[in-house]
Amino acid sequence: MFTYVLKTLWRHRTRTLLTVTGAAVAMFVFCFVGSVQEGLHRLTTGSDADRSLIVFQENRFCPTTSRLPEDYSRKIKEVSGVRDVMPIQVWTNNCRASLDIVVFNGADPQQIKSTRPLTLTNGNWETFAKQRDAAIVGRNVAQRRGLKTGDQFSIGDISVKVAGVFSSTVPSEENLIYTSLAFLQYTRGLDAAGLVTQHEVLLTDDADPDQVASEIDATLRAGSVATKTRRKGAFQASTLSDLVDLIGFAHWLGYACVGLVLSLVATTTVMSVQDRIKEYAVLQTIGVRPLRAMRLVLAESTILCLVGGIAGTGLAMTALAIGGFAIGAEGATIAFRPSIGLAATGTAVSLVVGVAAGLAPAVQAATVPIVNALRQA
Amino acid sequence: MALVELRGVSKSFRKGDETITPLDNIDLDIEAGEFVSLMGPSGTGKSTLLNLVSGIDRPDSGTITVAGTEVTGLSRSKLADWRAANLGYIFQTHNLIPVLTAYENVELPTLLLKLSSTQRRQRVELALEAVGLSDRADHYPRQLSGGQEQRVGIARAIVAHPKVVVADEPTGSLDTETSEQVQGLLQRLNKELDITMLMVTHDSDVARIASRQMVLDRGKFLERESGSIGEGEIGRGGIMQVGVKESGAA
Repeated sequence: MFTYVLKTLWRHRTRTLLTVTGAAVAMFVFCFVGSVQEGLHRLTTGSDADRSLIVFQENRFCPTTSRLPEDYSRKIKEVSGVRDVMPIQVWTNNCRASLDIVVFNGADPQQIKSTRPLTLTNGNWETFAKQRDAAIVGRNVAQRRGLKTGDQFSIGDISVKVAGVFSSTVPSEENLIYTSLAFLQYTRGLDAAGLVTQHEVLLTDDADPDQVASEIDATLRAGSVATKTRRKGAFQASTLSDLVDLIGFAHWLGYACVGLVLSLVATTTVMSVQDRIKEYAVLQTIGVRPLRAMRLVLAESTILCLVGGIAGTGLAMTALAIGGFAIGAEGATIAFRPSIGLAATGTAVSLVVGVAAGLAPAVQAATVPIVNALRQA
Repeated sequence: MALVELRGVSKSFRKGDETITPLDNIDLDIEAGEFVSLMGPSGTGKSTLLNLVSGIDRPDSGTITVAGTEVTGLSRSKLADWRAANLGYIFQTHNLIPVLTAYENVELPTLLLKLSSTQRRQRVELALEAVGLSDRADHYPRQLSGGQEQRVGIARAIVAHPKVVVADEPTGSLDTETSEQVQGLLQRLNKELDITMLMVTHDSDVARIASRQMVLDRGKFLERESGSIGEGEIGRGGIMQVGVKESGAA
């Protein structure tokens, strides 16, 4: 009987193709929205977000306006619960929300190597550590900008040579470009000798992040510049607050896509069953049980939805994997990455929607008054 | 006990404010191996009777027993199972599934039975052979003539080795020559395979191929054992004039 379902779909291939395409497009958007949500979630949760702190200038938001003394790191290190401190100079080409934000982080190469979850996919750390204008580039930026090891590139007044390309277990890291701290501090226009944008604080295993944050701010209260210290996740969420609201709203778009697939496949299946109501009457006349007739319709709607859903999900995963998409604001970025969870969700949603879309027409096919249906021309 | 037994079967329909009762307290017995044709004016309930015997419609009252099973008491699912195992239905308009080949159309009823793939294939091949369409097995309905489509429909009706085959105007949509071929085929299947048949027809020539010819008129059966039924003998409100006996308890 499965052959009958497949042949029916093939026989009406224009209708099938249009429905599958519609479902694929909707599931593509659903997965894209999902990847944005996942990116934000990854950025604001997890060990990197919860077990490290960012010390920033109080009441400042854009990295260009936060100017902390570099030697604050020595005082921060004395606070109980602090394992390591990494002074970071941040430079970005755009403080506002952008899909092509480029963020440079200047820090000590040895500290970057020892504290950041980075793996060089090509190039080497030695060149990065020794060469003053060397930079290692996150995989997403390299993909987006077509950069490879050995390339020289300039953005604004900054001109660097690519010493390597790295991947990271923290997707947002792959949107960054790391240089040495000194290089970025002495870049023309920054005038930041002895100053940094922020200090990243790594905590000991038993430290309470919020308590340490309060102690750091209290310790530095007497310094030349007041600070505001927060967990890295909270700092990034605050930095991206406008985007967070938008992304929060975007989940409705995801639900709308699911609704779209549901109505599309349901409409197609209802039309298909109504067109072939006599066929279902014939099938029941020769002995097909009503429940089996119901299963035939459900199989039809589920196949339509699954094929479209899997195609859309697959395309979205491919686009996310090779596109290196990210959105950022004020030096923080949200990476859109594919994930097994997202692929599984896309497939599961397609399956559930396929079954749901077929329910009403399936009941119609199963309960058709046989004699009346057979009389139809 | 007859293979098909109808006892006190009534069926009414509402048409606007009017209630039409084409079958009113009908009795009928059909023995195993019989070929019964049923004629009568339009709207007298011939097809309704066929549908009731097939279990695709339910009577308002009375009982219908086929091959020892009282079909009027079965649920919709049980009726479907019963039809799959016991009944073949030949439609006037063939009603083949357009997306399936002749072979697949004939195979459909066997998919509902517990048969091995070899048994299934053998049955389908035999059924197609019986109707002379082995060479058209891979053709789709749109690639077949009307007569060939009807022969595929007949093969589909007999492939599950049913106890009863019902045929609703099986030659109604065919030209004279093709109609005669189909009549010959039905007669041969009845005689050679000993299939019990109940056929509804408007055509007295077609009715003559049956071993028992019956006329349904105003809720009563008029029956003649054999011989011909003249065109003039059938008409709305008319009564057969010659050699007929009333049957049933209406």
